[in-house]
Amino acid sequence: MKYVVAFVLAYLLAILEVSFMSYFQVLGVTPSLVLMFVASWAVVRGQDEALVVVPLSGFIRDLVTSDPLGTSALALTPIVLLAAAVQLRSMDSDFLPTVVVVGAGSLAYGIISIVVLTAAGQSIPWLDGMLTAVLPLVVVNALFTPLIYLPVRWAGARSTTRILGPTRITSPL
Amino acid sequence: MRVIWWLLTVVAVSTISIVLSEQRTLDPVPNISLTLASPLEGGIRDIANPLNDLFNGVIDRGDLVRENQELKETIALLEAQIAEQQDAQKRVLELEAALGVKQSRPDDQLLAANVIAEEPSGLKRAIAIDRGLSDGIDEGMVVLSKSGVLVGTVSRAYQDFAWIRLITDPDSAVNAQVNLAPGQPQSAPTASAGSATPAASPAPTPASEASPPSSVRGVAEGDLRRDIVLDLLPSDSEITEGTLVLTSGLGGNYPRGLLLGSVKALEQRPQSPFTRATVQPAAELSGLDTVLVLISFTPARLTAP
Repeated sequence: MKYVVAFVLAYLLAILEVSFMSYFQVLGVTPSLVLMFVASWAVVRGQDEALVVVPLSGFIRDLVTSDPLGTSALALTPIVLLAAAVQLRSMDSDFLPTVVVVGAGSLAYGIISIVVLTAAGQSIPWLDGMLTAVLPLVVVNALFTPLIYLPVRWAGARSTTRILGPTRITSPL
Repeated sequence: MRVIWWLLTVVAVSTISIVLSEQRTLDPVPNISLTLASPLEGGIRDIANPLNDLFNGVIDRGDLVRENQELKETIALLEAQIAEQQDAQKRVLELEAALGVKQSRPDDQLLAANVIAEEPSGLKRAIAIDRGLSDGIDEGMVVLSKSGVLVGTVSRAYQDFAWIRLITDPDSAVNAQVNLAPGQPQSAPTASAGSATPAASPAPTPASEASPPSSVRGVAEGDLRRDIVLDLLPSDSEITEGTLVLTSGLGGNYPRGLLLGSVKALEQRPQSPFTRATVQPAAELSGLDTVLVLISFTPARLTAP
């Protein structure tokens, strides 16, 4: 059931991203609602669910954009690894880790997208793409994170201690 | 170990999916998705449009007052020039009739389409419309704004939908020309960079009656930072800011004489045989709600063997 909810939410957010958010660009870029959603989900609800929700949301996003189907699924993959890495440090709140994952995930997303689109034969100027799209997106997505994080946190409130697998993993520091 | 297997699976499935998507095998999937989403997307854009106006109105109020004054002055100038153009057009028609010359663009057939989505990634400039192959749209067809200004071309057509590559996309290249009027002052106001002035094109430079206007040709390429860059202009061409940029018709992919925009800035490169200019698009490409697909013009890329 939770995956059906994630599927519907990701689809609605993808539609909002291409229709509504394009009117409200900040620093010349559109906030990536789906990326913020999967990053929040991965941090708040843990790796097990992220393994399903992240690629699923990526495919859903590609259904409403002009990217080749599978581009976003591939580009969102690092978020699962980033979320797991961030959770190794036990923190009182999930918010800061989510912002870090969104920022780093946006950077990885942009770079992978450029690579995939270039491989698909589209001429994406790397420097301009990084300066005008990817780096502003890192900042904008990090700023907009509360917009998505708070509802996800509210809906799926869990203990702040993250559990990875059967045993608790904490930082040696 | 589980994560590594997951990673390999996602990479493999995504790569296969990308390859199949590029081979057009998966086209029915986005078509179904857009069919489901288009009513919602259309409704959301209808709501977002006035909200955006309100938002911009609050933020740019000072600029709007100044811009309003500038536009009033531009309208007065344009009205005078329209009268002159009407007279010139009448004479052209009379001459065409007398000489039996065929019009370069006979009655254009346009298909109106609603914009339902904009590409959000920032790496591309594209919009989706609610018309597709079933409406007679094909890839490569030319797309105009409501006012007849060049917007882009159909880059991908599905059964009921199509993606339009805008002229500001890095993949876009249009053969363009800049008409020069020797001996005539450039009386048109210049759109300044960074101002809130919309895509109101500066007034055309009136042609000299004594000498016909000359033109220089170049290639207008999309640019992520500067919207459109007009490259390969002869270095000795005397282009000034505010001069209009039109399609040249070379190559046969665009009809001749479609307005692209106006020259915003010139970039002189002493060692280069060519000059480059930044072009301000004449159409407001962000927030388009309706576009017109020129279905009566068949681009060369569709007729080529």
